Amino acid sequence: MSRRRWAWISGCVAALCVAILIADYLAALRRPLDSKIPAERLRITAARLSRKQRDDRAAWVLMAAAAAFLACARQGARPKVPKPARLAATMVRRPPPPAVAPVAPEIEFSAFVEDAIARLGRGKESAIPLLQAIQAHYRYLPDEALRHLCALTEITPAEIAGTSSFYARFRRSPVGKHVVRVCHGTACHVAGARQITDELRRYLAIPEGADTDPARQFTIDEVACLGCCSLAPVLMVDGRPAGKLTPVTACEALRDDV
Amino acid sequence: MKTARLILACVLLFLAIPRHAAAQPVPYQRPVETAPQPDSIGGGYKLPAVQKPLPRAYWLQIVDVVLLGGAMAVAVWLVLSRRNRKWLVWLSLGSLAYFGFYREGCICPIGSIQNVAVALTNPKYSIPVVVTATFFLPLLTALFFGRAFCGGVCALGAIQELVVIRPVTVPRRLDWTLGLLKYVYLGLAVGYAIKPALTRNFLICRFDPFVGLFRRSGPPHMLFIGGLFLIAGMFIGRPYCRWLCPYGGLLAWCTRLARRGVTITPDKELDCGLCVEACPYGAIEAMRAVRRNCLYCARCYDACPRQRKLVQIS
Repeated sequence: MSRRRWAWISGCVAALCVAILIADYLAALRRPLDSKIPAERLRITAARLSRKQRDDRAAWVLMAAAAAFLACARQGARPKVPKPARLAATMVRRPPPPAVAPVAPEIEFSAFVEDAIARLGRGKESAIPLLQAIQAHYRYLPDEALRHLCALTEITPAEIAGTSSFYARFRRSPVGKHVVRVCHGTACHVAGARQITDELRRYLAIPEGADTDPARQFTIDEVACLGCCSLAPVLMVDGRPAGKLTPVTACEALRDDV
Repeated sequence: MKTARLILACVLLFLAIPRHAAAQPVPYQRPVETAPQPDSIGGGYKLPAVQKPLPRAYWLQIVDVVLLGGAMAVAVWLVLSRRNRKWLVWLSLGSLAYFGFYREGCICPIGSIQNVAVALTNPKYSIPVVVTATFFLPLLTALFFGRAFCGGVCALGAIQELVVIRPVTVPRRLDWTLGLLKYVYLGLAVGYAIKPALTRNFLICRFDPFVGLFRRSGPPHMLFIGGLFLIAGMFIGRPYCRWLCPYGGLLAWCTRLARRGVTITPDKELDCGLCVEACPYGAIEAMRAVRRNCLYCARCYDACPRQRKLVQIS
């Protein structure tokens, strides 16, 4: 016999008991017809005693039936959460895209760097334009290219390190195919930018301390403000904004590019 | 259907067994000039013995307080450390049986607000140390761990906790607005309690919706209201606790200073939102448990796939 059936039965029994109690209460309220004295209805009569006993029993049956009803109805209502086999299975992750081949062979570095030096000069004052040119070409500053730059110009490795770490727009590690800028301005921070970022990092399986997923598809950039606080929390995928995010919709915003 | 009919028939039979004692025959006609005496009533009528109910023994009262404190400690341990809902349900069943049906809902911290209020304003009113302890213990617990009293110990909470079947989500703004009622109720209760002795009225006890159910007797309208609360409680999670309980208001204030509270997963949250759907009390905002509203029911742990796996491992 199904739980549902039992729930119906016990519910009906409980309703019946309530009906009995209410009926007896109304019967007790009714004044005996032959009496004009209000106290007369408080008299202990045979009818009153039998009502009391019946009501005591009905109360016990009501409690038992209500307990049975709750036990049956609750079991049916509770959604079963499937227990995962492994802890990792509880993490929402997409399958990793095929690995991208290494950016470029060594020869290409020297050719591009030499070309840039010829255009921009080899003095110390050209450090920033040179770094900008390299970053514009490779989307980050490859170590090989920087070593080459130091060898061919008057710029020392210390100056390169200082300059490239001082300006936030220079980056020394490879960048993913798509850049996701997650706003961490005041409004977005309050609206839960940290949770959004954490969820994206889990979704993309980005390791601790890195900002790009192993397949170099996405780079997560935590930026100060994207200037659309009314859409908080907000992120931008390659210049395409997505606002009023939840952890679920944030992942969906990336889904087109996966 | 056969079984259903059989069960209904059994119930009807049980209710209908004529076993009532015969009322004593009354030979006189009313109205009478004087009260009927045993000899004028006749029929071998005997005056019932005068009953002198003794107050509850002092050590038993101490036991009540110790049980209150112990149950809260167990609730804190189950929720914060064991993260187990099943045992918590058993704890609240035990509390319902002891503090509700055995102690008949008295003394409870909710009602003790009034005793404490009177004792604070009236130096002639003597308040037993047991009542003071009952009032302060849950507040003290809330100050450190949150509303553990509501989750595993309060009989009024437990009876509502057990009837939650299909809770609906109450709109947040409506929830908040209705939540203000408990402060109004608290003000009224204290206001009526601190009146002079003859006009004093303990509103919280008088309008306690569930105490009549615990005692299986009481004013019919309060029994009716208690029944309505329970039926509504099947679809709205713990309406009395969230919107009317004056002690809940005090506990909510205390939890603002709490050192620990319910954190849904022990390390980094997954933010999948299953816990938000599981919480019948709207106490999870932005996927974090709000301490002042969290009633320590541990449903969020039960709904969290990650949680269950982690607890199983540890």
